[in-house]
Amino acid sequence: MKKAGRTKKAKEESVPTPKLQVCVTVNNESREWQIAPGDLLLDVLRREGYYGVKRGCETGECGACTVLLDGKPINSCMMFAAQAQGRKITTIEGLGANGKLSTVQQELVKHGAVQCGFCTPGMALTAEAFLVENPDATHPQVAEALSGNLCRCTGYKKPVEAILATAHRQQDHGRCEAHTHAVVGHSVQKVDAVKLAAGRPAFTDDISMPGILIGKILASPYAHARIKKIDVLKAKALPGVHAVLTYKDVPRVPHTTAGQGWPEPSPYDTYLLDNKVRFVGDRVAAVAAESRAIAEEALRLIEVEYEVLPAVLDMEYARSGAVIHDEPDSTGIHDPLHNVAAEIHQQLGSVEQGFRESGLVIEREFRTHRQQHAMLEPHVTITWLDSDDRLVIRSSTQIPFHVRRQVAMILQLPLQRVHVIKPRIGGGFGGKQEMLLEDICGALTLATRRPVKIEYTRKEEFYMARSRHPQVLRMKMGFKNDGTIVANQLDVLAGTGAYGSHSSTVQGNTGSKVLPLYRAPNMKFDCEIVYTNTPVAGAFRGYGCPQGYFAQESLIDEVAEQLGVDPLELRRMNLIREGDTDELSAQLGEGRKGLARLIRSCGIEKCIGQGAAALGWDEKRKNKKNEDGYLRRGVGMACSMQGSGIAGVDWASAVIVLNENGSYQLHVGAADVGAGADTVLAQIAAETLGVTPDMINIFSGDTDTAPFDVGAYASSTTIISGGAVKKAAEKVRASLLQIASAIVNVPADKLSCRDNKIVADGVQSWTLAEIARRITYKEKIQVMEGASHFNMDSPPPFCATFAEVEVDIETGKVRVLHLVTAVDCGTVINPQLAEGQVEGAVAQGIGFALTEEMLLDEHGRMINPSFLDYKILSAKDMPKLTTILVETNEPLGPYGAKSIGEIAINGPAPAIANALYHALGIRFRKLPMRAEDVLRAIHEKEKTAVQVAVVTH
Amino acid sequence: MFDHIRSFRQPFTTTEAIKLLQGREGEACLVAGGTDVVLRASRSVKVLVDISRLGLSYIKRKGGGLHIGATTTMAALEESVLVRLTADGILAHAAASCGSPQTRNMATIGGNLANASPAADMATPLLVMEAEVVLQGLRISRTLPLEGYFAGPHSTNSNRELLVEVIVPRSKPNAAFSFKRFARTEIDIALVTVAAAIRWDAKQRCADVRIALGAVAPCPMRAHRAEAVLEGQSADHKLIWQAADMAAQEIAPITDVRASAEYRREIARVLTRRAVEECIQRLTQEGSLHAGSRNGGAR
Repeated sequence: MKKAGRTKKAKEESVPTPKLQVCVTVNNESREWQIAPGDLLLDVLRREGYYGVKRGCETGECGACTVLLDGKPINSCMMFAAQAQGRKITTIEGLGANGKLSTVQQELVKHGAVQCGFCTPGMALTAEAFLVENPDATHPQVAEALSGNLCRCTGYKKPVEAILATAHRQQDHGRCEAHTHAVVGHSVQKVDAVKLAAGRPAFTDDISMPGILIGKILASPYAHARIKKIDVLKAKALPGVHAVLTYKDVPRVPHTTAGQGWPEPSPYDTYLLDNKVRFVGDRVAAVAAESRAIAEEALRLIEVEYEVLPAVLDMEYARSGAVIHDEPDSTGIHDPLHNVAAEIHQQLGSVEQGFRESGLVIEREFRTHRQQHAMLEPHVTITWLDSDDRLVIRSSTQIPFHVRRQVAMILQLPLQRVHVIKPRIGGGFGGKQEMLLEDICGALTLATRRPVKIEYTRKEEFYMARSRHPQVLRMKMGFKNDGTIVANQLDVLAGTGAYGSHSSTVQGNTGSKVLPLYRAPNMKFDCEIVYTNTPVAGAFRGYGCPQGYFAQESLIDEVAEQLGVDPLELRRMNLIREGDTDELSAQLGEGRKGLARLIRSCGIEKCIGQGAAALGWDEKRKNKKNEDGYLRRGVGMACSMQGSGIAGVDWASAVIVLNENGSYQLHVGAADVGAGADTVLAQIAAETLGVTPDMINIFSGDTDTAPFDVGAYASSTTIISGGAVKKAAEKVRASLLQIASAIVNVPADKLSCRDNKIVADGVQSWTLAEIARRITYKEKIQVMEGASHFNMDSPPPFCATFAEVEVDIETGKVRVLHLVTAVDCGTVINPQLAEGQVEGAVAQGIGFALTEEMLLDEHGRMINPSFLDYKILSAKDMPKLTTILVETNEPLGPYGAKSIGEIAINGPAPAIANALYHALGIRFRKLPMRAEDVLRAIHEKEKTAVQVAVVTH
Repeated sequence: MFDHIRSFRQPFTTTEAIKLLQGREGEACLVAGGTDVVLRASRSVKVLVDISRLGLSYIKRKGGGLHIGATTTMAALEESVLVRLTADGILAHAAASCGSPQTRNMATIGGNLANASPAADMATPLLVMEAEVVLQGLRISRTLPLEGYFAGPHSTNSNRELLVEVIVPRSKPNAAFSFKRFARTEIDIALVTVAAAIRWDAKQRCADVRIALGAVAPCPMRAHRAEAVLEGQSADHKLIWQAADMAAQEIAPITDVRASAEYRREIARVLTRRAVEECIQRLTQEGSLHAGSRNGGAR
């Protein structure tokens, strides 16, 4: 590398930026800042090391950057630092005292309000200021106060409860939990909750690195174009620019960005950089420069000549549109000439025969849209070369091990030369089951030999990251007159966008995890997944199921009405039950033949019963209220199931090492993305080893120190990684007792581990500490074991969702009043965390149903790429949430556990649609059900009614 | 992001601030709370002039009316007893629905008006309260009815002047006010806002009818034809619907990412009706209680 040249450049770069001196008080300490006149307060605070101030949107919508200005919460992204002259700023670092959390922070921790923790500092500060002025706060006041702090994990229920508890100094009465175990089944405090509530530097971007460069990606302005000419000379000449990369400068390695086990079932149709762009937002070039401003200026200086190609925007015309993947080196594409990424065709029995035997056959079409994950922390990656010249990747990812393999392949490095670190993650929801920045960031580091950071802005996140596959679903069901389902057929057209990441697998789930919920001798699933020149779809919580369940559960509701049967009863008659075998799953594996699914545990009956009772179903279904005036109410429900890991594919491992004082080091490859995996895994280890949770030190998500794990997806961590931890812990316990047996002179089979002790048949005991010390220094043995785990089956959790809605029939506005989710997730390892998963999924599910949609213009450009117009729900928008955990015992799960992370997102859309039918007599088969669409439907119905009336006259 | 800004000025007098603006058209930009500037400042802006230290953050009662300094925040308006007790509290109501608490702690009444967004939340209540804005030039200041202040989307009729104060005249007795707002979610830019004011004369006929709509035309606007439908009439169900229909005809909404023009028109009709109905309802309640002076802070 030309080192001399760089130094010279750096000198030239010192453009005279006028500096300004600003005196402020931050957390009661006087500070003098040298700033540029246009610096935003957020940027200055982070630069000064106040990492608890988070960057979530930069448009004043998300509140992650909240600080107190003279005691009042404000968005530091919406304020110039110079405005703060002479004023008092409080950041999260200023709450609490002497390393102790403030009362609000403590309550947030205690109530399980801290999930990923990215929004927590802002929330805590807002709450702190609010409580000073409103010591007797009510629930609506707290929801209003928090309405400027968006959270994508919790559904706001626990944060609001925590703040109310602070206000009313409620004594924690403890939770009503039936305990059969010492640690498992308890709401053990999340292992990372304190540091997250304190806003300590724990996320990817919370580090400072000398000499770090800022990477920026030039995004395609066209949906479909070939790069005829690209000139980077001016950009390279700009002082402060250290590298500009185009397709000419990087290896051309076909790959998929999907984070899946090798060999990935997704097509290899993507390149680090290419001479063709396939959607607005596709990579054209990448720059590394000394500052964001210089990097952005360099992007403006890159001259590109495009040959604009006809764009395929409508998936229904994709087959006959311009060929999107005409490159010869892509592989695994089903039919590139017709833009078909994948096709799926499966049948059990004969649906044709089934429909002939049916007394009632019903067929309907449903449409679902693009939803984005909108995790509060956008994708961010920092790469550097360590002192051994190994490429280190610190990244906000759900899949550290897949990233290591993918980046090694793409950048043509030996795998052992790549080290991936997953710090705390500010939410993923599937959006980070994707290698999105790590390759290009690594390429910039290799080109410059400098640390490089790339962080998507919120706008870039919307343009360039992933989303939920839009689908057109045609569903046909045949019933006997008594309501028994005879045939169930689903035909899906799905759009994967410009690249085929997760294309066949997400859609495979739309069939395999939806149709088998009901017993039917004849089932058929056909699916075509097409490329279009639109933003790329990918993995997203629910993974194909929210679309499928919207269709199936709406259709079942319609059939119940036609048959004159209670919708609960019709479902009960047909639902899959314990002992059944789901044969469709055998045909729809993850890119290969799957495995038949035997239902070993099933609590759906109880979910329906308890959910209905919690909502007041019977009463509300019969007696509709508020029929006068302009408000109408209705109730609806939906059932669903999911999986727990991918059968025969997902696997994980764990290593446990005994410390000399009886505590343990637990090393796992599992990736906690904020949902609490580290806590759940530590609980499983503690339970098995007979120690308290504080005796487990968990280390996760670092490819240098952890054993392999596929990562956080497919609702797999508790069952698969948890299974590995349990096995490893059992092996450690066996070794320990074997060694201890010789020390204490009691046969090993008479010894057990509990309460941090080794106990001999309940009469005599030794502290684990004294035994461990003896083993370490006298016996000179390191007690340590590792284990791997996978399942040949994916036990489904089950869920019943109930919704009560209120519609304003003059505006079409739908308000969800109460949403009840009853879930069978097997044994609940940590009730508080499990509820948190449900409540967060429900909030995303309601957003999917009503307000969230990525909108594209006629050129394929997203027209609402900000939280201003992509509406996720705030605390004030949330209905009353009730979460019911129905326990079953799953033989394949650790301590009987199944999954909980995804399932609850499936129910809200169909339950709300069914409730709307109950309220209005109108079926909504297209998502989202925006107020405008609802009003249009109401008017159409009125028109039809008038016409009918005229005819009858 | 704001590397094009070369200078940040913090004047302490309005004269100083105006001097900084003059001769720097397009280059200088005023910052009060900053919440709109950060989102909208173009790359041609080189100088920021912070007007938050000019002593313009106040709410005063003068001669029965309200004088509100331009840099008074939404939060201050929302919390002010004076504002809550004026005109059935619709200005406080509107301030409380303008963005998140964080935004309301920074955003100012002057900024909201001077930014001249068609959806400005402060505009419609102030229009029906017949508010005036005080524009300060280098030598003279003038007072302009708010209706004459807006020139178009993000454009006003101020001429190198600084908006320093909003004056809300004293409202006549037997008048009622209402403010309605419609958006996709609780924290959202308004799709439609409607404010209404109606006074009852001795025979309980509508007088001084004022209806204003926001986000449905290039500027927040008064619906004079709709007002005329009600003026001098005793408002019954049918007449209120007529007035609402008229308002829906008067506006010129656009289709954008948030809603179609047709939908905005429909919502404008519904909200106008509801706003007028609420005024009548308040007048009726008030009339049936006693004929004394109104001081309801109801929202």
